[in-house]
Amino acid sequence: MTRTHTKILLSLGTALLGMSTAHAETVRIAVAHYSDQTLPYFEKMAKEFSKANPGITIKVEEVNWDSLQQKLQTDIVGGTNPDLSIVATRWLLDLVKDDVVEPLDARMTPSFKDKFIGAFINSGKVASKTYGLPISASARGLYYNKAMLEKAGYSNGPKTWDEVIAASKKIKATGAYGFGIQGKEIETEIYWFYSLWTNGGEVVDANGKAVFDSAAGIKAANIYKSLIDQGLTQPGVTSNSREDVQNLFKQGRLGMVITAPFLAKQIQKEKPGLQYGVTAIPQGSNAATFATTDSLILFKNSKVKTAAWQFSEFLFSKAARVAFTSGEGFLPTTKEEAADPAFNDAVTQSFISYLPTAKFAPVIAGWEDLSKIVANAMQAVYLGKSKPEDALKAAALQANKMLKK
Amino acid sequence: MSKRPLAPWLLILPSFALALFIVSYPFFNIVWQSVHEVSRFGQVRDFSGVANFATIFADPVFMTTLWRTLVWTVCVVGGTVLVAVPASLILVQDFYGRGLARTITMLPWSISLTMTAIIWRWAFNDEFGLINLGLQQLGIINQPLHWLADPALAFPLEIMIGILVSVPFTVTIFLGGLSSVPTDIYEAARMEGANAWQQFRKLTLPLLRPFINIAIVLNVIYVFNSFPIIWVMTQGGPDNGTHILVTYLYELAFRLGRPGEAAAVSLVMLLMLLAFTGLYMRMQRGEHAE
Repeated sequence: MTRTHTKILLSLGTALLGMSTAHAETVRIAVAHYSDQTLPYFEKMAKEFSKANPGITIKVEEVNWDSLQQKLQTDIVGGTNPDLSIVATRWLLDLVKDDVVEPLDARMTPSFKDKFIGAFINSGKVASKTYGLPISASARGLYYNKAMLEKAGYSNGPKTWDEVIAASKKIKATGAYGFGIQGKEIETEIYWFYSLWTNGGEVVDANGKAVFDSAAGIKAANIYKSLIDQGLTQPGVTSNSREDVQNLFKQGRLGMVITAPFLAKQIQKEKPGLQYGVTAIPQGSNAATFATTDSLILFKNSKVKTAAWQFSEFLFSKAARVAFTSGEGFLPTTKEEAADPAFNDAVTQSFISYLPTAKFAPVIAGWEDLSKIVANAMQAVYLGKSKPEDALKAAALQANKMLKK
Repeated sequence: MSKRPLAPWLLILPSFALALFIVSYPFFNIVWQSVHEVSRFGQVRDFSGVANFATIFADPVFMTTLWRTLVWTVCVVGGTVLVAVPASLILVQDFYGRGLARTITMLPWSISLTMTAIIWRWAFNDEFGLINLGLQQLGIINQPLHWLADPALAFPLEIMIGILVSVPFTVTIFLGGLSSVPTDIYEAARMEGANAWQQFRKLTLPLLRPFINIAIVLNVIYVFNSFPIIWVMTQGGPDNGTHILVTYLYELAFRLGRPGEAAAVSLVMLLMLLAFTGLYMRMQRGEHAE
C-alpha cells in the first residue's frame, strides 16, 4: 500500500469517527394510519424537524390501527419498540402497569402544559401523572341529510330521540333509510352508548362497576330495537360496520348517522355535492356525546429521550398541530390551534361546542372486555335473539365478573 | 459389521439442533405464558398455575367455540373431499380444454386466503354485493338478503368458502394419485362386465384411499387453524356466533389483551390436533393389520 493510500484511508477513518460523535441520533416513532395523509404528514414533520435539528433523524413507522397493539406487543417483548408511539389512550393503564412508559411531567415546561385544552391533557393521566399527550381528539355528532330532513319537517335536524323516530318514519315513506345503526365491528358498543348516555345512563359508576343495565339502559336499547323493528333503520343492522353505515349516508340513501368529524372530510373529498348538516346527538333526558383521544407516549427504554421529547414538542407546536388536525379532520387539542381560522367552519365549531357534555371511555382495566360484552349483547338484541332487559342484565353480570366488582 | 458409523449422526446434528430449537422455543414460550399472568403488552407477570386454563374452560364462549370448531373442521374437510373426488375424476379424463379446466380449478389456490376472504366479504355485502345484485336481477329474490348479519346464515357461508379454497390443493393430491393408477386394470374390469359405479367402488376408491387419507390429515390441520376467512368476513361475530378457536384466540390476545389465556387456548388446540393425529394413525395401522 502506498503512502497516499494510507493517508486517504486514515482521513476517511477520522471523518467517519467525527460523524459518529456529532450527535447522530435516530428517533423512531410509530404512528397509526388515520388516513392516507398520515404518513406524508409525519414524514414532512420529520424532514422539517431534522432541518432545524441537524444530527437528529426521525424514522416514521406507520401501522394500521388494527395491528398497532399487536405490533407494540411484539416490539415491547422483543425490546425493539420505537421511542415514541401513538396509542389509544385507554391502553395507558396497561402500559403504565407494565412500566414501559415514561412519565412526562418533569419534561413539560409550564408554558407547554398550558398549551392544552384541560379535558384532553387530563385524559392522558394515570394516578395523576401525565403519560400521554393528546395527539388526536374526536367527538361525535349527528349528521343529517338536509333534503330528507327538510321534507320530514326537521330542517335543522332532530333534537330528541322522539324526533328521530318521527323523522325516520317520514323518510322511510320516501323509500330511503331513516336512522343508521352500526351493528358490527369496532365501536358497535359506542353506538349504543350514545343512546344510553343521552337517556341519563352510565356505563360504569364511580366505583368502576358496570351499571349499563339500568332503567336508562333498557330504555336506550328499546329505542334502537323499536327503530329496527319498525324498519326505520338500514336493514341487516348486524352486518353493517361503521364504514358501511357512513357509506349509506354518503350515497344519500340514509337520513341520519352518528359519527365523528372525519365523515365531513370524507364527504368533502368523495361526495362534495351532498347537502348535510351536523347537530348534537339526539337527547332523551340530557345532552351527551362521546369524546376520544389518542396519545403520544415516550417509552421508558428509549436511549434518545431528549431528542424524542424535542420532536414531541415540535409536533405540538402550532403550525404542526393545525396541519395535522385539519388534515385528518380531528378536533384541536391545544388552545392556540383551536383559535386558528382553519377550524372556523361550522362543522368543526359544532363538534367543539359538544365537548362540554362529552364522556370519555373511563381508564379502567377490563374496558375492552366490557366493550366486547356490550357489543355482543347489543348484537343479540338487534338480531332479536334476546330481549333488551335480559341481554343487558346478563351482560352487566358478565362485565362485573371481568371488572372484579 | 455391527458397529454403526458415528459420522452421519454428527453431520446432521447441527441442523437437527437448529430444527429442534426452532420448533421447541415457541412451544416452551407458549407453555410458559399459559401458566403466567401476561399483560396486554406481553410482559409476563406472576405465576398463575392453571388459572388461565380454568378461566377459558369456565367461559361459555370457549365451549361453544370449541364445538363450532369441530363442526367447521368436519364440514369443510368433508365437503372438500366430496367435491374434490368427482372433480378430479373429471379432470383426469382426456377431454378438449382439460388444461384450461385444470387451470381454473387451481386458480383460487394462487390467491392469498385473505384476499379471497375480502372479495367474498364484498360479494356478500347487503347493499352493493354482487351476490345480492345477481340474485335480484335474476328475480330469485326481491329483497337483498343479509348474508353476514346472522350467524345462522354467515357460518354456513364461511364453510362453503372454506370448501372452495381447500378444493384446489385436494384436487392436486387426487390427480397425482389417479395418474399413478394403471389403466389396464380398468380394461380388465370392463371385460369382466363391471359398470362405471363398480369400477369406481372397487378400483378407483381403494386405489385412491391413501391419497384421500393424506388429504384428510393435511386439510384437518390447515382448516382447524384457518384464520382469514372467518376473521375477515365476520370477526367471529355477530354475538360470538361464528368464532372458531383460532379467531377466538386472536381476539383474546390482540383485542382483549389477555395473551396468557390465548396461550392456554393454543395449547388446547395443539392437544386436540395431536389427539386427532394419534387417533388417525392408530386407525391407519389397524387397517393395515387387517
